[in-house]
This record gives sequence, C-alpha cells and structure tokens, in this order.
Amino acid sequence: MKGNLKNNKKNGNIYIPLNGRIEEIIQLTSDVRLFKAKTEIPIDYKPGQFFMISVWGSGEIPISVTSLPEKNGMPELCIRKTGVVTTAIHSLQTGQFVGLRGPYGNGFPMDISKGRDVVIVAGGIGIAPLRPLIQQFIKKPNETGKVTLLYGSRTPDEIIFRDEVEDWKKSGITVVLTVDKGNDNWNGNIGLVTGFWPEVRTNFKNAVAYICGPEVMIKAAMRDLFFLGMPDDRIITTLESHMKCGVGKCGHCYAGPKYICTDGPVFSYKEIKEQSILK
Amino acid sequence: MKGEFILDRNHLSYWLRQMRKSRELIGPLMDGGKDIVFKSVDKIHELVLDCPASLPSPKEFLFPQYESMLRFTPLHLPLTKGGQGGVSLSEKAIEDLSDKTKRVIFGVRSCDISALSLMDKFYIEGHKDPYYARRRENTLFISIVCNNPDPTCFCIGLGTGPYLEKGFDIQMTDLGDRYFVQIGSHEGAKTVKAMSFLFRRPQKTDYEDQYEVFLSSKARFHKRINLEGIRQMILEEKVKDDFWQWVAGRCFECGGCVYDCPLCTCFTVTDRTYSEGIERVRLWDTCMFKGFTRMAGGVLPNEKMVKRTKRWYYHKLIYYPESLGGFGCVGCGRCTITCPGKIDMASIAARLKGLVLNEEEE
Repeated sequence: MKGNLKNNKKNGNIYIPLNGRIEEIIQLTSDVRLFKAKTEIPIDYKPGQFFMISVWGSGEIPISVTSLPEKNGMPELCIRKTGVVTTAIHSLQTGQFVGLRGPYGNGFPMDISKGRDVVIVAGGIGIAPLRPLIQQFIKKPNETGKVTLLYGSRTPDEIIFRDEVEDWKKSGITVVLTVDKGNDNWNGNIGLVTGFWPEVRTNFKNAVAYICGPEVMIKAAMRDLFFLGMPDDRIITTLESHMKCGVGKCGHCYAGPKYICTDGPVFSYKEIKEQSILK
Repeated sequence: MKGEFILDRNHLSYWLRQMRKSRELIGPLMDGGKDIVFKSVDKIHELVLDCPASLPSPKEFLFPQYESMLRFTPLHLPLTKGGQGGVSLSEKAIEDLSDKTKRVIFGVRSCDISALSLMDKFYIEGHKDPYYARRRENTLFISIVCNNPDPTCFCIGLGTGPYLEKGFDIQMTDLGDRYFVQIGSHEGAKTVKAMSFLFRRPQKTDYEDQYEVFLSSKARFHKRINLEGIRQMILEEKVKDDFWQWVAGRCFECGGCVYDCPLCTCFTVTDRTYSEGIERVRLWDTCMFKGFTRMAGGVLPNEKMVKRTKRWYYHKLIYYPESLGGFGCVGCGRCTITCPGKIDMASIAARLKGLVLNEEEE
C-alpha cells in the first residue's frame, strides 16, 4: 500500500498502473499459471485484496493476491486462462511486463480467527485468494486452533497447488481433497465439498470459516455452515465480479447497494443476507 | 465572497465575450432547429436561454461519453497482434491524457447543477477520479433560474430547482431587462470581480422582481412528484415483484435513461490500438445491458431484465440516499422524453402512487 501511495502522489492518477516485471511463471494445471511480478517499488497488501492487472492493448482485470506480501515486493498472481486479458497474460514470458494497480478491496478479517478453529472451503480456482490465508495460519500456528481445508476440484488434474497441499498437510493442516469426477489414478474423495462436513472435526459454533469458489458452492457452503451452528458474522467469503476500475467508480461490480471492489470483495454471510448481496 | 449583483441585459454578451478570452465558452444552442445541445459557442447571439432542457445533460463536459485516459507508447519492441507482448517500458511510456481545458458552461439549469453536488461526492470522495476532478476544477458553471419549466420537469418536488439556495458558482435570474446575479462559490466571485464594472448592487425592486420570478416559475410546473413517498413504499415492501416484472416487460434495453441522466455515472474501459500507441479509453456504459456484469467464462449474473430495471430504481431511490445523501434523480425529466417504454422515473412514480391509491380504495 505504501509503495503505491508513493507512486500515486507522483502522478496524481489512480488509473496509471505500476509496471510489474514478470520474474517467474509456474504452470500449475493445463490452464492455470502462477505469475510472480516485481514492481519498481515494493507493494504491501493483505490476503483477500486484489490488483487490477493489465496488458496494454488487451485490457485490465481484477486478480486477487495469491501470496503473502514479502520484502522483495513480488505479489504472486494465480491466473486461469478464460478471457481476452487472461489469455494475453498467459502469452507473456518472464522479463515482460504487466500493468499493476492496487491493492484494492478490504481483505480478509484476520482478528476473528484468533484462538478459533478455522474451516477453509475452496472450490477450483477459489483456492487462489485463500492460499495467503493458509500461509498465514502456517506461519503463526499459535494464533488459531485447528485448521481444516476442504478443497474441491472438477478433476484430479485440475487441483491447483497440489504439491503445496502436501506441504500444508505436513505443517499441521487437515486437508480434505475431493473431485467431481475422478480418473484411474484417483483413489480419493469424489463429490461436492459440502458433502464433507463430517470430516471437519470441530465445534462449528466456535469456529470461523473462509470460503471461495463458484457462486453456487459459496451459497451452499455458507448456508450449511450456518445450519451447523456457525454464527453468520464468522462465515466469510470473497466474491468475484466483472470490474473496470477497482475503485468504486465504473459501477460494474454492483451487488445490491454495495460495490464488490470497495465494500468487498470480502463479505460475511451476515452482510450478504442483510444487504441482499448474493441474489 | 458571496454576493448579489445586477447585470444589465445589454452587458451579457460583452461579459461572456470577455470570459471567453480565458475559458472555452459552452452554452445551450439549437441543434438542427429541434433539440437543445450544450456546445462550444461560436456566435454568442445564438445562445438559447429560454429553452427546454438540453438533451443530453451537460455532464458530458465533466464525464464525456468517450474519454481517452492514458496513452501507452511502446519504446523498443513492435506491438504484436492485439497489442499483447510485454514490451519493455519505462514510466515515461505512459502518458496521462486528462483534459485540463478551462471552461465556462453558461445557461445550465438548476437541476443539472444540483446533480453536480452528488457527482462530486461520488467521483471525488474516497478514491479520487482524476479525470472528473480535473475537469470539475477547471469548469465554471453559470446557471439560469428556470422561468419556463418543461411539462416533463419535476425538480420542484425534490428541492433541486427551479432555483437554488446553494451549490452553484453563479446563478442568474432573468428579470427581463436585467439579470439578478447571485454568487455561490469562490470561483464565481472571482469571475464577477474581474468584470465588476459591469455589475451594480441590487435595489429593493430587483429583489421583488426576483421573488416574483421564483413564484411564477414554481406555479408553472405540471408535475408534482414525491420521490420520498415512493422510497417509503419500496422500503415498506409495498411494491411487489409483479410490478417490477411489468416494468421489465416494457424496457427496450436501449440505455437512453442512463445516458441522458445527469446522475448516472457508470463507464466501461477499453484499450484501442492506434499507430501512435495504445489508448486506454473510457466510455459511458449502462447497467440496463445484460453484458454489463458479465464475468469471466461468460457468466451473466443479471441476465434477467427484471433484475436490471429494478436495480436502476433501487439505486436511484434507495442506495443513492444511503451512500450520497440524496436521490439519484434531480427531476430533469430527460428520461421521460427519452424512454420509449414509458417507464421513466416520473411515470413509475405516478403509477406507483396510483397503485396504492387504487388498493386503498378497494
């Protein structure tokens, strides 16, 4: 944040992106890559925030941060090739540049997980914004109780951060992996993440949940957790939306009375119900 | 400095000519003999002041339909198709194209001035939008008290016209042979002060004549619309879904209401590749379009028309007051003129009022 403010002061224009030099690209699955981008000044950010990433000539899109901030100022961005801009980003090589504005958005509330068991529910690429949370919980294991990750993918080949998941397990996180459709090499769980609540050995009434995935999954998971006794202000999700500005002006990310970019993208189930955000 | 002055009608064009030396003069002009459009004024005598509301609103000069934001010039490598390819670049390669032209917009109606105070809050507070902010800083507004409201006008029920108590730079009331000039901002004061020899202090009769214009103007409104009443009806859930279904059924998805509205603010951003480089431009967009909220992978969260029309009304009547402290409508009546489905703000308000009255009668 500090770094970007410095930059903004210089030109007074929030729409001018910083130059992010791509230092490393990691192919995670057939259509998902992890980009590490270095900016001229290090940028501070929080888990749950996002950047507006652009490729000149193709456009700009919101991408949530996939890593904890580090001293070298290299935010990691996990990007699936789906549209015009993401296709352009995927065509970039190391040493080339993306435009980078931000960070924007509120980020995940971290204080509510202090001393509590944590349930993380991820669906598909929804693991990306949750990864820095997991990294944070691993880094400071004494601040939370038991951490359980329920992670669902369409197929075993589409599980993102598969190697890291093994590391997370070793670091003490309970991981329940599931896929919609298995293959010959898969002998794990098959089914929706919402079918695996019994695997989460916690008292839901005292726990906290962080959820990200497709909208149907988010809705189902929030509702289930609420019925399992978790208070609605401790069921936290982060929402995806079409955005053109990231700063509450363009109007594209409206959700009820809120804008996902400035009021979110992280909302509690309580807010979502009260403000009719997901309808 | 605030103040009140009298300007002789014969001095008006001289004053405008003098102002034009330091600012671009924009005013209401007859376009093809039919519509009133705010344009750069070439011949001052062609200004039409006793005119119907302009189409579109003068928001065009603060938030243009098409605005170039940034230009990116590749320094070393040629662009590949679609402008992709991370070319090596330095900060100098990005040029800020914001418009810093000094303008004076003359003959604006009170409703459009009222809209500015909410536009300012929206664009400048929080993350400051530099394009709007710079144009706003460089634009002086001279508004005219409406003494001839259109049949579609309903600012009177909203306190956004026909004359204003505050929020203007300079407000003028036409008293026939002279103008009553009120100053409402520092910039307005500076402008009058610079030509102070043209102005005199008002006399008692000037105040009386101004008051008379205010009264007669108020009496000329055809429409009395109480949006607060409509807001309450919505909040009390008296407006049922079948009503919004009916509205949606009549919507042509043309976006006319949004483009003409002085308080609609949405835009889209796109990159255009030219031989000199790539321009990042923004254009008006409208929440009435299905693709407005299209997400990655083609998901359309607001595919159903009813979601979009209903949201526009909720935004104007419920969310605007909550977030900006005033309705997202100033009663300019432009949507009434534009909407082919007759589901403009005034018609909706009238219909809702009718529905409740009918129910109560039953």
